[in-house]
Amino acid sequence: MKKSSLWVLVMLAAVLMSACQNQRAPAEQAVASAESALTNIRDMATRYAPDQLQAVDAQLNSAKDSLAKGDYKAVLAGIPALNSAISSLKDTATAKQQEVDAANEKAKEAWGPMSSDVPKMVDAIQSRVDILSKSHHLPKGVTKDSLAAAKSGVDSMKAAWGDASNAATSGDYNTAVSKGQAVRDQASQVMQSLGMKSS
Amino acid sequence: MADDKSSATPPANNPYTQMHVVQSGDTLSKIAQKYYGDASLYTKIFQANRDVLSDPNKISPGQKLRIP
Repeated sequence: MKKSSLWVLVMLAAVLMSACQNQRAPAEQAVASAESALTNIRDMATRYAPDQLQAVDAQLNSAKDSLAKGDYKAVLAGIPALNSAISSLKDTATAKQQEVDAANEKAKEAWGPMSSDVPKMVDAIQSRVDILSKSHHLPKGVTKDSLAAAKSGVDSMKAAWGDASNAATSGDYNTAVSKGQAVRDQASQVMQSLGMKSS
Repeated sequence: MADDKSSATPPANNPYTQMHVVQSGDTLSKIAQKYYGDASLYTKIFQANRDVLSDPNKISPGQKLRIP
């Protein structure tokens, strides 16, 4: 009786070990597959959904820990949720990327006329500043301070316009238009301070 | 963007160049006085309007002049 009980225990342990080993390969494969899927979208996710990526990374690391500890059952139990999180992350990042791309396309259209107009505004101001700098007296409504501000304004506008143009050259039209609009606003203010409105 | 005068948009091609409609009694010197505070700078206006002015002493009411 004692002998047979021992035999049953040994058999049971063997069955359990076998079952455990049977789960190892699928668990390893599932984790590798999830990691590969995450690698494929990591760049996009880093840019467009960094917080969500961090959460998915934590889930993946947890699965890897379980794998390292040999807890294949836990790994396999957690894989559906991990795969679902990766899929959701991909959807979020893709949607955000499409949103940004659409905004960039719209900004690209705005950049066209802006890239022509704003330099002309600055050129007109530069011309007036150059002439007023040679004047013995300033016209009514223009002070030494406003002329000095216009002079420094031209320099800062040129620098900011350079940044906007560089952004456009690199394809970042959102930044280009944002910076370009700031230059346009500043140019309008300076023109007003120099009395540059047509009679 | 113009970094120097050679690359700047010429006033004739620049929609942001200020315009002045000549009134009766106007002279380029008076216009220069108004916009620059200095009548002696009338040549700047003359040079910017060479396409419509041949003589700085001859301007006509109603003429539209560029004020660079």
